[in-house]
Amino acid sequence: MGDEVVRFSRVSKRFRLGAGHDSLRDILAAGIRKLSGRRSRGRRKPTVRALTDVDFSIQRGEALGIIGPNGAGKSTALKILAGIIRPDYGEVQVHGRLAALIEVGAGFHGDLTGRENVYLNGAILGMTRAEVRRKLDDIVAFAGLEKFLDTPVKRYSSGMYARLGFSIAAHVDPDVLLVDEVLSVGDAVFRLRCMDRMNELVRNGTTLILVSHNLDQMQSVCDRAIVLDQGRMAFDGPSQSAVAHYMQAMSKTYMSHRGDLTGGGQVSKDVELKNLSFYDGGNRGVVWMRSGHKLTAKVKFTLARSVPKLVVELNMRAMVSENLVSINSGRDGITIQAGAGEQEIELTIPGLPVRGGQYFWNVRMWNGDSGEMLCDSPFRYPLCIDDGGRATGILCLDHEWSVVRSKSTISIPKPHANLSDDVKMREGEHENMPVR
Amino acid sequence: MRAQMATHSDSSMFDWLRYRHLLWSLTWRDIRVRYKQSLLGVAWAILMPLSMMMVFTFVFTRAIQASSLMAVDMPYALFAYTGLVPWTFFSMSLMGCVNSLVANRNLVTKVYFPREVFPLSCVASGLVDFGIAMSVLVALMGYFHMTGEWEFVLHPSLLFVPVIVLVQVLFTIGLGMLLGMANLFYRDVRQIAGVGVQLLMFVSAVVVPVPKDDSILSLILSLNPLVPLIGAYRDCIVYGHLPAAGGFLYACATAMVFFVCGWMIFRRASYRFAECI
Repeated sequence: MGDEVVRFSRVSKRFRLGAGHDSLRDILAAGIRKLSGRRSRGRRKPTVRALTDVDFSIQRGEALGIIGPNGAGKSTALKILAGIIRPDYGEVQVHGRLAALIEVGAGFHGDLTGRENVYLNGAILGMTRAEVRRKLDDIVAFAGLEKFLDTPVKRYSSGMYARLGFSIAAHVDPDVLLVDEVLSVGDAVFRLRCMDRMNELVRNGTTLILVSHNLDQMQSVCDRAIVLDQGRMAFDGPSQSAVAHYMQAMSKTYMSHRGDLTGGGQVSKDVELKNLSFYDGGNRGVVWMRSGHKLTAKVKFTLARSVPKLVVELNMRAMVSENLVSINSGRDGITIQAGAGEQEIELTIPGLPVRGGQYFWNVRMWNGDSGEMLCDSPFRYPLCIDDGGRATGILCLDHEWSVVRSKSTISIPKPHANLSDDVKMREGEHENMPVR
Repeated sequence: MRAQMATHSDSSMFDWLRYRHLLWSLTWRDIRVRYKQSLLGVAWAILMPLSMMMVFTFVFTRAIQASSLMAVDMPYALFAYTGLVPWTFFSMSLMGCVNSLVANRNLVTKVYFPREVFPLSCVASGLVDFGIAMSVLVALMGYFHMTGEWEFVLHPSLLFVPVIVLVQVLFTIGLGMLLGMANLFYRDVRQIAGVGVQLLMFVSAVVVPVPKDDSILSLILSLNPLVPLIGAYRDCIVYGHLPAAGGFLYACATAMVFFVCGWMIFRRASYRFAECI
């Protein structure tokens, strides 16, 4: 331990925007212009900074997560590490054998059978034929494709394809393994096995670099993470704190441009919806929160005329078109008597026990007397929720474990200070009948 | 686990040697894929030059009586086949190289390994086909020996053939790397190369001897290194003597120049491939 395996020193990279290069016709035209003595207009191609002065190093056996919003430079960093593209400035050093899983099954050939593709892909990832032969059974068993080994991969389902691809990369035994956003494939069981495999590799001394949008997965594999934001290093430290930092950064991005997610919008001219904002238990404005914590939502709007019986509804969705939470003042039997002018209504939820992820809210309003709809906003108010990587269902419920019939005890890791629910333990209360 | 130092900034010219397993795998893939889902399979390696030989034999000896063929002092079928086999090797490998980087875009942008592996594997898989087609030449010579049209002698000059093959391989790799790289930046190259190869066939003494006179055109055509190269195959296999030193050394020199320049330029440009493809 303690020796540096990857060194990424002050790396910068720009990409040209637009077409990557001129067409042959342009070159010829420019040549003719030059010959005929006319100066070509010196317009410089616009460029975009993909990475600016990014600097980090990784020790042997460390698992590093790279997170950041889309376009933050995560994949560019990974491609530079893998040697696929070269930085404009800075230097990259990798000690030892590196395998990059940037796209699952890149290099698979549809006409070849699963077995043939294992050999081919193994070679692409740097294995010798003998090595592949030795590991073939493990690879195939891990992917669970024993029955389809001699079927051309063009007949595979996308899940099978991805499983085989990951399985090969997971068996390369590299010194450094780069994994880019590939764990979103396959079913839940396979995803879990992938995580186990990565954890196992790290225990055995492989250095892992994982790029992921799935913060839960990232946290369960990596102890340390860096946050990239618009090509710059925004944070480098423990992955829990990195996630918090990332959420904050995401919030800012959301604040600046709120894309409409679904239609709807203003229905009546009488109501102008100003804002829907969220506050935590300490009454601080937030755009992300821990699962299960107290949340207050404030709706600000202006009424052109008074509505004696106003009904307000707040809905929350994940990315699917179904409300996860729908709270309606009318159904709750609350009468809101609203006069003309600026209004502010608060909804407080003592705990929102949903699993981590991104959620979007909307606001609906009705005139309770006439039933006329006054407002139906798009789902454009984001709220990120972090559950510390503990839940994979829909809900992240408060819970308690206890051992009832065993002499064994459960040891729980020190709970993170920022996690809300306390996992309490009652050690073997009934010790009279051990199971084994 | 091997612990070699891989600093991306100083990858050496012989980087690809570490990836020879990959070279074999890609070559094997090319061959495998080429003949997969075809009824005749590897037989196509023989049938391609053989059917072309029949076409040209029919065209030049039955349909039209080409006067330039008077200079050919062996059965025309044999002349055509000894030209077509190395020519097929050249043209197939070259067009493979031209396409190789673009066709493997997925690998170029997603995985790192020395990009030389792509053109090299194209030439290597062409070489396998070449070997198979060459073996048929023996059968063909046996056939003409039996019909009495021509006397089959196993000349010691056959031992020189591997040298000719090597020169041709170097030339093809050099040219293929240059064109493959150019095609990555400008896709026009593939079309141009396709037409160029068609044209080159008729001025490389493949199926018709190159006319010799004192015109400028003839002078330009004599710069083509493929003429002495393909002639060398006939000299060694059919006539049983070593090729004329002048022409063959010219071919060797040209091949070396293309090979060294092609490889060096390819190496220097290869780090930009993933961005420009």
